[in-house]
Amino acid sequence: MTSEQENVYDTSKCRLLRTYDLSEVDKLFLFRFEDPEKAQNFRFKPGQFVEVSLLGLGEVPISICSSARRVGFFELCIRNAGRVTSAIHHLNPGTLVGIRGPYGNGFPMEKFHDRDLLLVAAGLGMAPLRSVFLYALDNRWLFGDITIINSAKYANGLLFQKELEAMKDIATAENISIVQTVTRDPDFDGLHGRVNTHFDKVNVDPENCTVAMCGPPPMYKGMFEECIERGYDPRYIFVTLERKMKCGVGKCGHCNVGTATSWKYICKDGPVFGYYDVLDIPGLI
Amino acid sequence: MRYIKMTTANTYKFLENLKDEATLYAPTKISEQFYDFTEIDDVDDVEFHYNRTIRPPRRFFYPEEETMFRFDTDKVELYENTPREGRFVIFGVHACDVVGLRILDAEFIDEQPDPYYKMRRDNGIIIGLSCLPDEYCFCNVRRTEFVDKGFDLFFHEVADGYLVRVGTVQGHKLLDPYPELVGEVTQEDIDYMEDFEEKRSSMYTLQGNWDSLRYFLEMRLDHPMYERESEKCLGCGNCTLTCPTCRCYDVKDVPSIDGKTGERIRFWDSCQFRSHGLVAGPHNFRPTKESRFKNRYQCKNAYCEEVTTAYCVGCGRCTYFCPAEINFKRNLMEIGGYQGVGD
Ligand SMILES: Cc1cc2nc3c(=O)[nH]c(=O)nc-3n(C[C@H](O)[C@H](O)[C@H](O)COP(=O)(O)OP(=O)(O)OC[C@H]3O[C@@H](n4cnc5c(N)ncnc54)[C@H](O)[C@@H]3O)c2cc1C
Ligand code: SF4
Ligand code: SF4
Ligand code: FES
Repeated sequence: MTSEQENVYDTSKCRLLRTYDLSEVDKLFLFRFEDPEKAQNFRFKPGQFVEVSLLGLGEVPISICSSARRVGFFELCIRNAGRVTSAIHHLNPGTLVGIRGPYGNGFPMEKFHDRDLLLVAAGLGMAPLRSVFLYALDNRWLFGDITIINSAKYANGLLFQKELEAMKDIATAENISIVQTVTRDPDFDGLHGRVNTHFDKVNVDPENCTVAMCGPPPMYKGMFEECIERGYDPRYIFVTLERKMKCGVGKCGHCNVGTATSWKYICKDGPVFGYYDVLDIPGLI
Repeated sequence: MRYIKMTTANTYKFLENLKDEATLYAPTKISEQFYDFTEIDDVDDVEFHYNRTIRPPRRFFYPEEETMFRFDTDKVELYENTPREGRFVIFGVHACDVVGLRILDAEFIDEQPDPYYKMRRDNGIIIGLSCLPDEYCFCNVRRTEFVDKGFDLFFHEVADGYLVRVGTVQGHKLLDPYPELVGEVTQEDIDYMEDFEEKRSSMYTLQGNWDSLRYFLEMRLDHPMYERESEKCLGCGNCTLTCPTCRCYDVKDVPSIDGKTGERIRFWDSCQFRSHGLVAGPHNFRPTKESRFKNRYQCKNAYCEEVTTAYCVGCGRCTYFCPAEINFKRNLMEIGGYQGVGD
């Protein structure tokens, strides 16, 4: 970069180190910044995202899904959904991409300490929630019981299914239950139905539990009702949202949502919002 | 604030001098009906009496399309393309448009400033000009009809020239080299300005203020106005492209033919376009014309904390230039229940 002043839209070179197939349409990508200093200094919070650039094709916002504690590299779980993401799916290890960020508020992890944790994911939802889960494992002594409800339409779409199951066998995973459910796959020999139908299997104390959810927005309304009914503290219910994004820093106007007296940018005021934000801002979910 | 007097003849001399020092833009008549800010060769072309320019002044700081970076696709390197243009002056900016620029400042220059906008803003000199409203103007109910900030000089028409308010150090510096063009403000000038302001306020078709409008907009989200009016909307985006405070942009990468290099370009977008909220899937966060229409009404009436006005400064362009003759002002009056509209 030539000028002295930092350009917020500037992107740094990252090398793709390896890829791993998660489902037919989802892949896990491991990246490292080319500049060793940048690699060492890159820090993020669970729930934050980066803008990934394939020069010539464009930029897309993607949540970071690895552990915030592991310094030097990060992982993205990307669904092949369109132009840029399908090109990313075709990249070979060794390729360079542009990364800028991290952006967004992320989950307020301090508020999660000394409480139980319930993670509810649907579809791609496990991507950002995985970094929340890994935070809880990295700081296991700060958390009580942990339950994850992971859901997908089909069994082969249950993201990180094997990884989550493998977790059950490690020492830090004590008092962690993992509920995996599918909605449209009659052949799956596990649980069937939407996430809210499996709340009975949740091993946490509702009054002292933080809930973090990620999935399609229609799921949130039902989930809110379910949580309130079961006595969860609404101050500790969080969701992460999506909108079309171009800049990631509150300039391009695309992710703006709300009404004349309460409006927010999903990119910089979010993507994580609390239950009361949702009450305040019409159209948020 | 410093107040000085400049006669009409001296004003032309002053503009002539400015033109020699920096690129000068000012309102000119570009067709039978329309005015626009254009680069001035001959200061006699400057229009001192105009209602509104077709394009708002924001394009001087935030062009309709610009290359942000050139890039090398193999090396994955971006080469910044921040503006290098020299100093420029925009003369003849009405109060509402001055506020419009301040609103854009609030959006673009924050803790993570947009370098392209900021660099141009640092190089741009703003000279305001007083005006009289037509039936499309409602800057008074928006409280943007008079400004205290956001200009270097502000020219107020008086009998034989202009009473000039000096707004910034930059403004003082513009005048310093020409003491012979600057005179003292007389009692007559002040009396003229008082009469002018009185005449001006009596010409507005609306009175009062619309500060509570945003609450009514929020409480009446289901108002039938939206469905009725959005039916007529062509989704052409004119209302947003002509708006002095709209600032949505889209970005695209344009690769060279061999794919080895290219440019990242940003260009004005409009929330009235179907593509504004369209993402992969394909899912659209604002799928209907009505939802996009509603969004504009909410967004433009939201409160800008930095400038303490609504995002809409009441310039009247979106109504004046709407091909479907959708009247923004009237529609807002209907929702706000002002002056009997919609009862
Ligand atoms: C905060 C946030 C976090 C995300 N995290 C992930 C993740 O971890 N994994 C993942 O696979 N996907 C994630 N997405 C969705 C991902 O950004 C889109 O799938 C992707 O932008 C599609 O781009 P495309 O060019 O392949 O598709 P196209 O349909 O060709 O999209 C064209 C352009 O529209 C915009 N766009 C399209 N879809 C979206 C979308 N859903 N959200 C925002 N902008 C969009 C992008 O600018 C994109 O370049 C996230 C989105 C947001 C907003
Ligand atoms: S200018 Fe008029 S027709 Fe065009 S998008 Fe705006 S409201 Fe609709
Ligand atoms: S919304 Fe219309 S009247 Fe208000 S500032 Fe924009 S163009 Fe002018
Ligand atoms: S992504 Fe541009 S404003 Fe949020």
